Parts: sequence; structure tokens; C-alpha cells
Amino acid sequence: MISRVAEHCFWMSRYLERSENTARVLDVNQTLLLDFDVPLEQQWKPLLIISGIHDFPNQAESEIVQYHMTWDRDNACSIASSLAAARENARIIREVISADMWEQINHYHLWMQSSDSRRLYDDDRNAFYNQIKRINQIIYGICEGTMSHGTAWDFFKLGKYLERASQTSRILDVKYHLILPSADLVGTPIDIAQWTAILKSCSGYEPFHKQRQTLDKGTSVADFLIFDPIFPRSILRCLSYCQEANQKIATSDAEFSTNDVHHIFDNLVDWLHSSTIDDFVTGGLHESLTKVVDTIHDIGDSIHSTYFDFRMSADGASCNSAKHQALCQANC
Amino acid sequence: MNVAALPPSRLTEDSQINIFQDYNLHESSWDELIHRNYEPHPHCKGLVDWLSQLSTGEFKQRRQNADWTFINQGITFSVYSDFRGTEKIFPFDLVPRPIEPGLWKKTEAGLLQRIKALNMFIHDIYHEQQILKDKVVPEDLVLQSKCFRKEMVGFTPPGKQYIHVVGTDLVRDVNGEFLVLEDNCRTPSGVSYVLENRVVMKKVFPKLFQQSKVRRVEDYPQKLRDALLSVAPTSAGSSPCMVLLSPGPYNSAYFEHSFLARNMGIELVLGQDLFVYNDRVFLKTTHGPKRVDIIYRRVDDDFLDPKTFRADSMLGVPGLMNAYWKGNVTLANAVGTGIADDKAIYPFVEDMVRYYLAEEAILKNVPTYICARPDDLSYVLDHLKELVVKAVNESGGYGMLMGPSSTEKQREEFREKLKANPRNYIAQPVVSLSTCPTWTEEGLAPRHVDFRPYIVSGTSSWCLPGGLTRTALVKGSLVVNSSQGGGSKDTWVMENGK
Repeated sequence: MISRVAEHCFWMSRYLERSENTARVLDVNQTLLLDFDVPLEQQWKPLLIISGIHDFPNQAESEIVQYHMTWDRDNACSIASSLAAARENARIIREVISADMWEQINHYHLWMQSSDSRRLYDDDRNAFYNQIKRINQIIYGICEGTMSHGTAWDFFKLGKYLERASQTSRILDVKYHLILPSADLVGTPIDIAQWTAILKSCSGYEPFHKQRQTLDKGTSVADFLIFDPIFPRSILRCLSYCQEANQKIATSDAEFSTNDVHHIFDNLVDWLHSSTIDDFVTGGLHESLTKVVDTIHDIGDSIHSTYFDFRMSADGASCNSAKHQALCQANC
Repeated sequence: MNVAALPPSRLTEDSQINIFQDYNLHESSWDELIHRNYEPHPHCKGLVDWLSQLSTGEFKQRRQNADWTFINQGITFSVYSDFRGTEKIFPFDLVPRPIEPGLWKKTEAGLLQRIKALNMFIHDIYHEQQILKDKVVPEDLVLQSKCFRKEMVGFTPPGKQYIHVVGTDLVRDVNGEFLVLEDNCRTPSGVSYVLENRVVMKKVFPKLFQQSKVRRVEDYPQKLRDALLSVAPTSAGSSPCMVLLSPGPYNSAYFEHSFLARNMGIELVLGQDLFVYNDRVFLKTTHGPKRVDIIYRRVDDDFLDPKTFRADSMLGVPGLMNAYWKGNVTLANAVGTGIADDKAIYPFVEDMVRYYLAEEAILKNVPTYICARPDDLSYVLDHLKELVVKAVNESGGYGMLMGPSSTEKQREEFREKLKANPRNYIAQPVVSLSTCPTWTEEGLAPRHVDFRPYIVSGTSSWCLPGGLTRTALVKGSLVVNSSQGGGSKDTWVMENGK
């Protein structure tokens, strides 16, 4: 598969997944604030922080933050920016994705630009966020059902689950930034309510209760969202989907049976397997999650240099991969 | 206009009017559907009868459906002047333009004859230059043309084929005769609209299609693919790798590039995806380099290879020409085909047909004054108001003077340009383009149309039974280019026996 095309495929999928997760976080925060009296400073600022926005120039007030995270095209993390970037990536690789999929992406792109989406946002915020979540879900469904499950599909999955693993880590980290007024409040209704909200933002409320029955302490939520082997949004599950996809990409050519991407994935997954939630809490949940997010970032870099960044000097004399150069010579 | 928002009384009123009721023919132009006596042409009768059953309201509704189909599918072109890269739909008119089988047969033969002669001409001028020695075409006109590529002298592309794809612009005069306006031998575009227009028409008028015998256009991508495979380089293996080279997503025709790649089943690549190693072209893939044998390129000669042509080109592939010269890659179209569609060479195409094929040209040119000839120049300078003056190296309706609608100031400007550089201009009398009923704000009205059929050539040539009918949307306007606000129609080449 053409390196550049693989890259567009990977990013289209990441942006779609990102828009869904941003909608999830905004939605859950909104709902949470309806029930509890949280100091203004703690209400919306955590959302900006987990998106990497540390220098928000305005008051982190509800409507301002929601607008910034939903519509602001100057904010690369906003839903509108993510969906536009997904669509632009899709447009560039239209000959690769299925026609059904393109039409759906284009349809939502037009919807986002129309007054209908603004109206829904103004009239029923919850319905709006649900619609945004559905965009990614529907497109993924169409993609699964209409696009050949070859290398393009593997890159699509790799991007999707890598983004989701990173987003689940960030959602969990919200809890760190939502500081409880005092340590005695751990395990109190407000603490439990915050954990419940986080669970719901990952659609994990019902799966969690089916397995664990009670939510007596908050860290059991973290345990579930990090380590659960079968819940589709847990970090570990997402990473094993990524490993599968990477394995398929790599083994579609014998020359590439193992690569750097493998190694970093393996290290991260091994570390998670050998850890427990108590280790995470002892070491600091925020610090542990930061390590996950940073490693995912490194994986992204490694995917880039392994699959996308193919450099050959103009005279063909030097190449960033000795393997590639050898293949050229073999083909001459 | 939003039909649903109209007050109900208006809708009822609309629904009673047959759309052809108030149709008035243009004063002199040939009409594609309706004869001077206001009867439909025989091959258009079924179509006109069917459309006449539609009320204005129904017609508007279907028109809106068609527009939405284009918008939802993102069938758009980008507009260069708009820095945000706005995409626009190419306005589509629902009334098709039928062509009778007899006329088509003749036109097709004429097109195939013409392309054969043009291809022989290119080969000749990059080799023996016999036609120049025999003074059939003036030597300086060819050798001094910006389109003459000295890099191609002595080189023969695989299969001796230069013009793999041509889009020939035809217009129809007041007698209904097709005349050639220009040949597009470089990277002609528009064929994706031919195919998409057909898809939309079938969606909007399914019943009409069932009863009309219209020839298929859907085979085009496969035919092009087969043609290019037939001229793969000899060094290619049993399943040659073919790619479409596009300038990129910001090019106005990117939709078409991606459409064709998708339908030909080949990869769309940008210059950055390719590199040349040891005079062979490779594709950068996630699993390393892959050999490329055939490049259907939609990048102009100038930008193909910064080592040979424009050094500042970011769109091309350094060293591509070396691979080409070594015979390791087929480029379609070949480099240097611009010499055959240079507007200064155009007036000699009928002579070429006679010279190379010993036949009379089936399709005639529009009479043309060559400003490089002193007599022609002085005639042109004296009759600017009646003529269309064209710069020989421009396309898309740019660099042109429409005499009858020009101002004194514009004519004065052109007079100076003509005197300063006569080689750069040709002039033609205004051809009254044929008209076709087209939907306008006042209902159906005649609008001028042209026609661009496409011929693909590998070891043999094939003419698409159809083509792009472009239509001016402004009353009286003769400018049909999409970049200048024109629209398009589905073109129906009718099957024999109907």
C-alpha cells in the first residue's frame, strides 16, 4: 500500500474516533454538573487539560469551553476540526475507501456545516453529542461492511484503536484533575458520582456492573477501564486490537515480520499485564496514565517512521531504510 | 430555489405547465432537440414527448434531486481563486443532448481518422520531420513553438503511441454540421462528468432510460486501462503496475483523478509517492519500493520532472524522464503531444490527414486565420469586431477576445498584442454554436452547447459513444467552460434502429 495513502487512512480513522471521544467527554461533563455543585474552576478546565490545552485565554465557563471544543476551527482538537480533518483525509483517498463510506462522511460534513447541526446543538445538547458519537459509529459500521479487509482496513483499525486507547487514558485522567475538596471525600457520593460519570462517558456503565456488581470504590472503575480484557474501550483491549492490526500489516510482507512498532507495543502491553490497579494507584494514577499516553505517542512516531516516512534521495543513492534500498536493487 | 418553500398556489400553477410549452428557438442556431418547424427531430421525439408530460413543478423537483445527488457524493471541483479551497458542483442540466446514430457514425469515423493523423504527425516531427521538409506545415511554426519538446527528438514511446487520451472539442454550425474547434492532446479532463452525469440521469429519470435506446458510456475506465496495458514497456512483467499521477487534492480536477483511479482499479499517486532509482520508477509503499510500469499522468509536461523541465516543480518525479528515455516506463499521454493541439498548428490538421492518410478529412475545422501570415494578420486587424481571437497557448477560455461583445478598449489592447507577437494568435469567425433546451429561471430556454467526445488509444483506438456536452447558462453566451460558469448535460448517442 502507498505509504502516503496508508497515512491518510490511519489519520482519517483517528480523527473520526477523536470526534466521538470529545463528544463523550463533553456530554458526560455536562450531565455531571447538573447533579453536583462543583467550583467553577473545576467544572470545565479538566477537559481542556486532557486535550492538551493548558493556556486557554478565556474563563473556562461552560458555554465557552463547549463552543471551543465543539465548533472552534482554530482549535485543532474541536469536534468540527476533527471531522473536517477526517473528511479531508477521506477526500484525498477516495479511490481507496468505499463509495458508501465516502458518501456518509461527506453527508455528515455537510450536516456539520448546515444550520441543522447548530440548531440541534442549541436546542438539545445531549442529542447533539449523541449524534456526533453516532457519526463515527455509523462510518465504522459502513467501513466494516463495505471495504475490503486488506491493508487499508488494517491501518484504519490501527488508527482507530490507538486513538481510543489514548482517549480512554485521557478520560480517566479527568478524574485526577477533578480534585476533591478534601481527602475524606474519597468514597463519598460525589466521588462515586464522578467515577460513574467517567464510566458512562466510555459506555462502560452496564458492562462494568455485569462483571462487578457494585461500585464501592472508585479505583475499580479505573481497573476496569485500564485492564479489562474484553471491554472494547479498555486500554488493554484497544492495544491488543492495535497489535493484531499491526501484525496483519507487517506479515502481509515476509520482509517485515517484526518491526519497531511491534517492540514498543509489546513493551507497553507487557508492562500493563504485569501491573495491577494497586500498582497504578501507588505510583500515582496520573503518572501511570501519563506513561501510557506518552508511550502511545511514541508508537505513533514509530508507525510514522516504519510505514509512512519513506525517504529516498533524488539521485536514488541514499535511502532512510537499508531494507528499502536492497529491495530497489533486487528489482532492477 | 427551494421548491418546498413556494406558496401552494404557485406550485399548483407550476404543475399545470408543460415545460416545452413556452420554448422559443434561438433566432439562427441549430437546436439539438427541436426542428425549425417546432417539431422534435425524429431521434428526439421519444425524449421530448416524455419530458412534455412533466409539469414545471415535477421537473424542478427532479432537478433538485439531481443537485443533491452531486452534493452528497461530493462530485465537485475546487475553485482556484478561493483560498479556503471551496468545492463547487459543476452545474448539471437535466435535459439530455441526443445524437442520432447516423451522425454519430460519421463523427466517430472522423475523430478516429483525425487522431490517427495527429499521432503520425507527432511521430514524424520528433523523427524525420518529413511533413516539414515537404512544406505541408511551415517549419518555423513547429520548431519555434513552445510546445515542441526537443527532449522527445529521436525517442519513440512504447507502441509508437503518443496520444493515449484525446478530448476533441466539436461545435455544431447553423446547418447542424459538426466542426472541430480544438484538439486536446495533453491531459484532457471532463470524462468523469460524462460518467457521473449518466449515473445521476438514470437515478432521476429511471423510466425514461428504460424506454430510450442510449449507448453505454460506463466502459470507459476499463477501455482506458486496457489501452494503456497494451502499450506497457517491454521490460514490464506479465502484470504491469499502472498508476494515475495527480498534481494533488488541491487541483481542480482531483475529483476526476480519484474517480478514474477508483474505476480503473489503479492507485492514485502524487509525485512524492514515486522515485527513480537506476532509471526505474518505484512507488513508496508501506512495505518498501514497488516497480511502476505505466503512469497515466494528469500533470503537465512542465511539471513532470524537475531535472528536465521546470526545476521548481514540486509535483513531479526527479529523474522520471531518464526512466522514460530508457524505455522503462510508459507515460500517457506522451511528453510533447502539445505540439499537436497547439492552436497555431490546428489550421493544418486537415492537410495532415491528406498527407499521412491520403484521405479527405471527414470532420472539418472552423475556418481559421493564422496571424503569423501577414495577409491573415492584416485581415484580422481590420475585422476584429467580427472575429474570435485566441492566444495559441492558452486554454479554458483565457486569453481570448470575443469580437462582437468586446469594447473598443479591449480591441485596441488586442491590436497591440497581435502586432507585437502575431505568432501567438489565431482568429476565427464567430461560430454560432448550436443550442439545446436548458432549464433557466424562466423555464426551458435555448442555451449554446459544445461537445467533447473522448478517444482512447493503445495499440488500437476506441471512441467513447458519448462525451461531455458543456452548456453556457447565460442567455446568448458562447462560453461554456466550467471555469467561466458553464454547466454540463448528459449526451445520448442513440442506438441504431430507433
